[in-house]
Amino acid sequence: MLIGTAKEKSPPPADLRADDPAYVAIRDLIYKISGIYHSEQKLYLLVSSCKRRFQATNVATPAQYLDQITKGPNRDPELRLLLNEITIGETYMFRHPAQFDALRDVILPEVMAAKAKIGIKRLRFWSAGCSTGEEPYTLAMFLLEAKEKFLAGWNFDIVATDLNSRSLETACAGVYGEYALRNVNEGMRRKYFKPTPDGNLEAGSLLKSLIRFDRVNLSDDSKMVFLKGIDVIFCCNVLIYFDLASKRRVVQHFYANLTPGGYLFLGHAESLFHVDETFHLVHFPGTAGYLKPFGPPAAGGKL
Amino acid sequence: MNEQQRLQLEEKIAGLESVAGAPVILQQLLQMLSQKEDDIRLEKVGEAISRDAAIAAQCLRMANSPLFGTRPVETVNGALMLLGINKLRSLLFGLCMHRSVPADKWVLDPISFWRHSLGCALVSQKIACLIGYPDPEKVYLAGLLHDIGFLVNSILYTAKFRECLDYAIEKKCPLHVAENSVLGFSHEDSGRLLCKRWAISEDLVEAAGCHHRLEALPSAEALVCLVHLSDLLCRVRNLGYGYEEILAVSFARHPAWQSLATHYPALSEVDLVTFTLDLEASTQEIAAFVDSVFAVPQRPATRKN
Repeated sequence: MLIGTAKEKSPPPADLRADDPAYVAIRDLIYKISGIYHSEQKLYLLVSSCKRRFQATNVATPAQYLDQITKGPNRDPELRLLLNEITIGETYMFRHPAQFDALRDVILPEVMAAKAKIGIKRLRFWSAGCSTGEEPYTLAMFLLEAKEKFLAGWNFDIVATDLNSRSLETACAGVYGEYALRNVNEGMRRKYFKPTPDGNLEAGSLLKSLIRFDRVNLSDDSKMVFLKGIDVIFCCNVLIYFDLASKRRVVQHFYANLTPGGYLFLGHAESLFHVDETFHLVHFPGTAGYLKPFGPPAAGGKL
Repeated sequence: MNEQQRLQLEEKIAGLESVAGAPVILQQLLQMLSQKEDDIRLEKVGEAISRDAAIAAQCLRMANSPLFGTRPVETVNGALMLLGINKLRSLLFGLCMHRSVPADKWVLDPISFWRHSLGCALVSQKIACLIGYPDPEKVYLAGLLHDIGFLVNSILYTAKFRECLDYAIEKKCPLHVAENSVLGFSHEDSGRLLCKRWAISEDLVEAAGCHHRLEALPSAEALVCLVHLSDLLCRVRNLGYGYEEILAVSFARHPAWQSLATHYPALSEVDLVTFTLDLEASTQEIAAFVDSVFAVPQRPATRKN
């Protein structure tokens, strides 16, 4: 789930000013249900998302739209559509190769050694906020390549979740154009994708069979507690719009979701400094990840 | 390194100066510049530089490069004022290194070597300033010189040192591990002996001699800890030696970090993700600096020693 990251650098245009108090109410509602918080500086992003929904629903004012998502008969589906607008993102495959080098060189050998001792030869990955699927498909390709080398004899599965149901539909379809595939070499394209009539490439059944897509709201405690035994979580550029309290809660869930020795990867500019004390920040060449250490967590408590 | 190896190495380093070694003028300049900034007399430095045409020319060329504004600089003293002490140290170190090692004896890529040394100098100094270490200028110089032993090993043990590099590339391991395995000693040992010979201050000798083995120091000196951490930070931010290395560092739990944090509590307020991200900008600055010196053919060195 990427939230308008490309837009945030430019100043808010005049027509996107949050000059109606209803926007603040919408902001608070979105925060309550998703943990995504639009600060004053980023409120224009919410205005932009709302305005796209105004057009689609024939609503004239922010107050009317607030009514629609709080009292209207279609409030739940409309809220979901608004969340889709808010969490639109654009990314591409193999965007952070250093993370995969760290997986290959350090993380997986350590995790595998610990698991092999107790006779387990299965690895679980979670792409939390998978957007339109580029990240989990990259992971699937990496793992399939590794299966021919150091992962021989191991099984693995990938859980890929997002809040945005429209993004998830795209991810499930697995059809990508040149932008998303810019870092996928010709050999990998031939091996794992099939051409579509309109000139794009669709992920083959081998890739798709490894990934289970699901709609998960990271702020929904009841869903978060069910994801257990994960070895590596990728949650890149998702937490950036969460406020501190929500961020802490999600990170505590991640800690509980991971097996000891497992890792959490965030976006390259994201930090848990002053957010969490129990993960250990580990630097690798070109990237950094958060290790869930073996042994009980330090004082401070976990979920 | 056993006693016999140490004596042999010491003897070879003693003979180095007459073969290719660092020109006396550069040693003098580095000694002058290893003092506290307030104690450095720029006109004395300028005088020494003016005695060496190649160094003087490089200073002028740097000062007139796009990195340093648009006003033409025509005198050595003017160039020194513009460059500042740190850039001058870096420049001298680069020249020293370039002249000391004959072209056929370079084992490491000289540009990678210089970038790493400069990176380490800059990062050490940045951390020193962040935590309130009293002498950030000295930290800069310690970072700059910490790997000087690689040059000694390149010159004196070219073939063996090449084996070390091949070993490190194959195993994706740190170079000092490869050196200890292949040579039986590392650039720390040769660096320490060279720095001692140059009569550089004792703590700089320790930084060159112990930056990978803090346990060899009676108490982990803050200066050596800073250099050790900066070396690691550079290697995780693509300022290593130009080969792929397997590395995983938990800085906050590293003994050097913890030792430093005991004496400088401000260290625990450094957000390492943001700090390492900020190094990207420094990396580019370093690359521009190194390239600005290597970009045009070097003038033939006019050795005065």
